Amino acid sequence: MILGLHLLALVLYAAAWVLQLRGFRGGREPGLSGVTVVGVGLAVHAAGLLLYALSYRSLPLVGLGPASSSLALFISLFVLAASVRTDLRAAGLFLLPLVLLLVGEAVIVGIEPTGRQIAFRGPWFVLHVSAIFIGYAGLAAASAAAIMYVFQFRALKRKQFGSVFGFFPALESLDRLNKVGLAVGFPALSVGLLAGWSWTLTFGRGLALDNPGTILGIVTWTAYLVAIAARSRPGPRGERAAVISAVAFLVTFVAFLALRITAREAGFFL
Amino acid sequence: MRDALAADARDGGRADAATIALVGLSHHTAPIELRERVYVDSASVRDTVRGVMESPAIHECVALSTCNRTEFYLHAADAASAESVAIDAVAARAGMGPGEVEAYLYHRHGYEGVLHLFRVAAGLDSLVVGEAEILGQVGDAYELGLSLPDSVGPVLHRLFQSAQAVGGTVRSETSLGRGAASIPSAAVRLAAKVFGSLEGRSAMVLGAGEMGVTTLRCLLSEGISDVLVASRTLDRARETVAQIGGRAISLEDVWEAISDVDILVTSTSAAEPVVTSDKLGPSRGQVGSPLVVLDIALPRDVEPGVGGLPGIFLYNIDDLHKVVGATEEARRAEAAPAETLVTDHAKRFWRWYRSREVGPLIRGLRAHGEAVRLAELERLLAELDGLSESDRERIEAATRRLLNKLLHPSTVAVHQAAADPNAIDFLDKLRDELRLAASSPRSESVTEEDIESSGPANGSADAESEETNEARS
Repeated sequence: MILGLHLLALVLYAAAWVLQLRGFRGGREPGLSGVTVVGVGLAVHAAGLLLYALSYRSLPLVGLGPASSSLALFISLFVLAASVRTDLRAAGLFLLPLVLLLVGEAVIVGIEPTGRQIAFRGPWFVLHVSAIFIGYAGLAAASAAAIMYVFQFRALKRKQFGSVFGFFPALESLDRLNKVGLAVGFPALSVGLLAGWSWTLTFGRGLALDNPGTILGIVTWTAYLVAIAARSRPGPRGERAAVISAVAFLVTFVAFLALRITAREAGFFL
Repeated sequence: MRDALAADARDGGRADAATIALVGLSHHTAPIELRERVYVDSASVRDTVRGVMESPAIHECVALSTCNRTEFYLHAADAASAESVAIDAVAARAGMGPGEVEAYLYHRHGYEGVLHLFRVAAGLDSLVVGEAEILGQVGDAYELGLSLPDSVGPVLHRLFQSAQAVGGTVRSETSLGRGAASIPSAAVRLAAKVFGSLEGRSAMVLGAGEMGVTTLRCLLSEGISDVLVASRTLDRARETVAQIGGRAISLEDVWEAISDVDILVTSTSAAEPVVTSDKLGPSRGQVGSPLVVLDIALPRDVEPGVGGLPGIFLYNIDDLHKVVGATEEARRAEAAPAETLVTDHAKRFWRWYRSREVGPLIRGLRAHGEAVRLAELERLLAELDGLSESDRERIEAATRRLLNKLLHPSTVAVHQAAADPNAIDFLDKLRDELRLAASSPRSESVTEEDIESSGPANGSADAESEETNEARS
């Protein structure tokens, strides 16, 4: 049933993305249908994770499958929240593939508990993982906005009035989404990292710098700092800040992939 | 009794032989000079419509007049009378003879007239396909008609209400009205792609040319709150400000004021660029928000290098035309579903319109049949002596049943034809036949010779019926 709900959510997210792609090809601003499909997909996805929590009496935060699915849920929440504003519905064009990737990964590796006992558990662990997931989702949203900003900026500068011009939101709207993503994600990530760090200090374990989760957290936090610094420079920030945000996300994503491939305990973080 | 039936048949034939007719000219058929002369403004519409309504053949009249078209929609006793009256009205306004003006006119009547108005209301017949203004103008023409005594009756009332509904449906259910379809609206779209909402933004217009002011009006309608107008002379700038609001500034103050502006519209008649990188660069250097520069002047007012400055988006008249072109292309793709919607609504209206005349027509048909039946019955009974009362009643009942059975398919056919725009000729011919039959003294008594001599006529009626069925299918 958990897998079935995930598969259904996957289909709905894919359908929403196809609708976005069709809108993009036609150069039309996205309609309400795509948002509705994302909303239904999100509800089904949330039901799948709720069923997981009820079935296994634990939150889906540990293990590659459950954790990927939970992170995907946070990102689709950002998609839906952005879509409430008519002019930001196009954000799904870049965020939905990420959601599809994460839910697809969860479906492939299995959405089941690992069975492995970990020392870090309880409310601090929930705060730690949830806050970090919000941090990752915030950076993803900020980066999607930044990528679209770069495309729209170039279309406007080069006077190309095609699909990008018609489908992508206004520069100011994208800048605002970038700002909101950073404003929500950075404090959340900081809280998540601090919660983890506090736990390790409390139990005298020291900061596990060889832990892939710790490395990814620090890389992401640094990426945030760079993106925020780029925004705070005087003068027209537009494209420069957007490019830096996009590159920061790219670096984080590459770091994640590298850690997933090389780290010994890669299966136990995202 | 037979006289009364004949009168019924004549009435049925005549009843509501009226039609909807349209006579007009538009950008498709007439040059702007003629359109300007024929244009009926709100001050003269009363006299114009009254003049048309003086003809006893005209039951109702609405005049739709915009800068691109002037059309008279009429509900009249017959199409020919309606057209003649409307041509005279247009000719009088144009200061030309009816023969001269006719070359620029189009005539539609019946279903074609309905379809035309619905296409006009949907923006499908507009110079810029899908433009929204025409729907309001159709509504205004109808409202103006309502304010004139007896000008709008049940037919044009329903016709114009339906037209407005069709226009609204096309805009809500298709993308026909989306995008920027004029230079000022393209300017708004470009600014909106940079700023999102234009609410609370500031704009400056440099040069008070007509296009600049129109563009500024468009921007104001989108919520621009702060407007600066700079012109060659301060007096000229003040004149413009008096029309549209805002503040007038001198050309010398432009470079200081521009640091607080979001949108700059230039439309001066200067031969050399007025806005250069040297002047604009220092003014905008550390400004965080972008500046959209819309250069709608020819020759251009803005040096092309300005577009390379950070935070500045420069568009000239060619760029704005490109935006309009992209919109027109998208709208052409949306025209097909819009046409389908319009046709469906026109057919629906037409069904209603024709259904109004089905009752009298069927009454006329039955009255004609009944008159023939009674005449034949009278002749038969006179020939058959010695029949009992009950035999007479049985023969009478048999002829009545026979008539009912014979008329049933015709009644059904009339109902179907009324719902079918392609079968308009069928009903008109039937009406004419009934009128002829009712007025002919021989119609009440059909002899064997009549039946034989009507062979070819019946043949042609069959052929017509087949044609009608074919058209319907």
